Amino acid sequence: MYEELMAVYEKKKGSPLVFQPRLRHWYDVNFNAGTLPERYHGMYLDEVYGDLGVPPREVWGPRRIGSELSGYFALNAVDGDDVEVWTRRLSGYMGESEDDYVITEYRTPVGTLRQVQRYTEHGTSLMNVEYYLKDLDDLKVFEYILEKRSYGWDQSRYKWGKVRYGDAIPLRANLERSPVMWLIVGIMGFKKTVTMIWRHPEEMKEFMGVLEAEHVKQIEAYRGKPVAELNFGDNMHHDLCPPPYFKEYVIPFYQRVMPLVHAQGMVASSHFDGYLKQLLPLVGETGLDGLECVTPLPQGDVTIEEMKEGMGDMFLRDGIPAVHMCPWTPVETLESHVRELMEAFYPRLILGISDLLPANGDVERIRLVKELVDEFNAEL
Amino acid sequence: MANEELFSEIKSALVEFDVDLLKGKAQEALDQGVEAEEIISVLSEGMDVVGEKYQAGEYFVTSLIIAGETMKEALEVLEPHLSGRGGVKRGKIVMATVAGDIHDIGKNIFTTLMGTAGFEVIDLGVDVSAEAIVAAVKEHSPDILGLSALLTTNLEQFPLIVEMLEKEGLRSRVKIVVGGATVTDEFAEGAGVDALAKSAVEGVNICKAWV
Repeated sequence: MYEELMAVYEKKKGSPLVFQPRLRHWYDVNFNAGTLPERYHGMYLDEVYGDLGVPPREVWGPRRIGSELSGYFALNAVDGDDVEVWTRRLSGYMGESEDDYVITEYRTPVGTLRQVQRYTEHGTSLMNVEYYLKDLDDLKVFEYILEKRSYGWDQSRYKWGKVRYGDAIPLRANLERSPVMWLIVGIMGFKKTVTMIWRHPEEMKEFMGVLEAEHVKQIEAYRGKPVAELNFGDNMHHDLCPPPYFKEYVIPFYQRVMPLVHAQGMVASSHFDGYLKQLLPLVGETGLDGLECVTPLPQGDVTIEEMKEGMGDMFLRDGIPAVHMCPWTPVETLESHVRELMEAFYPRLILGISDLLPANGDVERIRLVKELVDEFNAEL
Repeated sequence: MANEELFSEIKSALVEFDVDLLKGKAQEALDQGVEAEEIISVLSEGMDVVGEKYQAGEYFVTSLIIAGETMKEALEVLEPHLSGRGGVKRGKIVMATVAGDIHDIGKNIFTTLMGTAGFEVIDLGVDVSAEAIVAAVKEHSPDILGLSALLTTNLEQFPLIVEMLEKEGLRSRVKIVVGGATVTDEFAEGAGVDALAKSAVEGVNICKAWV
């Protein structure tokens, strides 16, 4: 499978198409609820992948809830000696409650930042209810934290994955969201970011430069490591990041950092999981090699044709809307969508679900899609 | 005639998000003896222009947020002068992200836009039980009930809430609009709701057509 995935990165033709869906959310929720199908009782996630006949995608390393770089493979972030990080759960570490919150405080010589997060619906992740950055003063504190922060390759985690999976799949690793999306989704929130950019455009642009410097540090930390693909977890959506933002903040950012990625012999993609009709015509200017997710209709707002037109020669990772994996969508709809997608994007396609198998998705549909892929590959 | 010119400047200042000019012009209108309620009507007309620009693709959701902020600042100038007669809202909506779901970016954009469109918004928050939603409908008698869900696992809350409202004899008194990326037309139709909004702005337009 390693060669087939590398063929996509390297733009080689004739290699079999790979179907590599995200199953972890489905697995975690059903495992925790005791609702995994009987067939999968007692299996680790990678064994479920094996049973379904598809390569593993998101099983390396321990889960890191609350980490700014959670999921997939990530760097170790080390904060400065005079930066204290205090974390507590509202219900206490021995307690579980539906209204459990995680409070994180960064205490520094120049000020304190506080974030409050809530466990997501099934307790498998966290989302912000209070963001670190609330006003201009907080930007200075965050800047201080980042200046002192360093990144290191997580060798022990990599070694563990290497032993378990060998060379089954090329390693892809995460980077933080591009600066404006880092603000919107990660540290300031949507409405606050919009109003701050409106009221304080110069200060916010300067601060985005501080965030960009952090990306440069992260990319540099991957230098010489066995990483094939870097992924910016943007969660791009044209309502959150409309074309004027995309042109002013996103495209120039990628135009500056992509040469750094390519200089290390790596490719890079970004996670685009919202409505994208207004952004796809602009995405070619970023210099990104590929896009992840890009949810088509009826879940997103773009057709497969529009996706292909906007993305041109970029590779697509995923492409099957998650609702097509749910029992109420006719199987015929799923089949015709997958066939159309493969025809449109192969060989620039790593087939998957946009963006993951829902907790109440039908896992047997993974097997069905795999059969369609096998049929497609047989005719190559 | 002088008022017409001033009203036009107020509208333009709002549409251009020029807070300082808008506040100055609002104060000027007050100084000339124009009632605060009348100035608010002019601001509402300005918001309609903002909405038209959005529909035309000239403005974006971010522009609508900024328009709301601009309007809020103007209202701060006007509020001390309100007689109490001008606070009539276009309609009332109870809004919630359903039980088991805590995604709220879309809901929050929608409630912000509904507020600026002149609706009284009662936002119940996220992860709200069907029982609490039905109780809120009973208590507040809204014109509209807005329900949001992102996860496919929580969409079943929509038909459940519809059924509970029917049992309580409340269904016919309230329009229901639902939203969320994973909600399809077929699912919304089967759930027995009145409309599916695929975006916050579409939702506002649906509600404005109802009330």
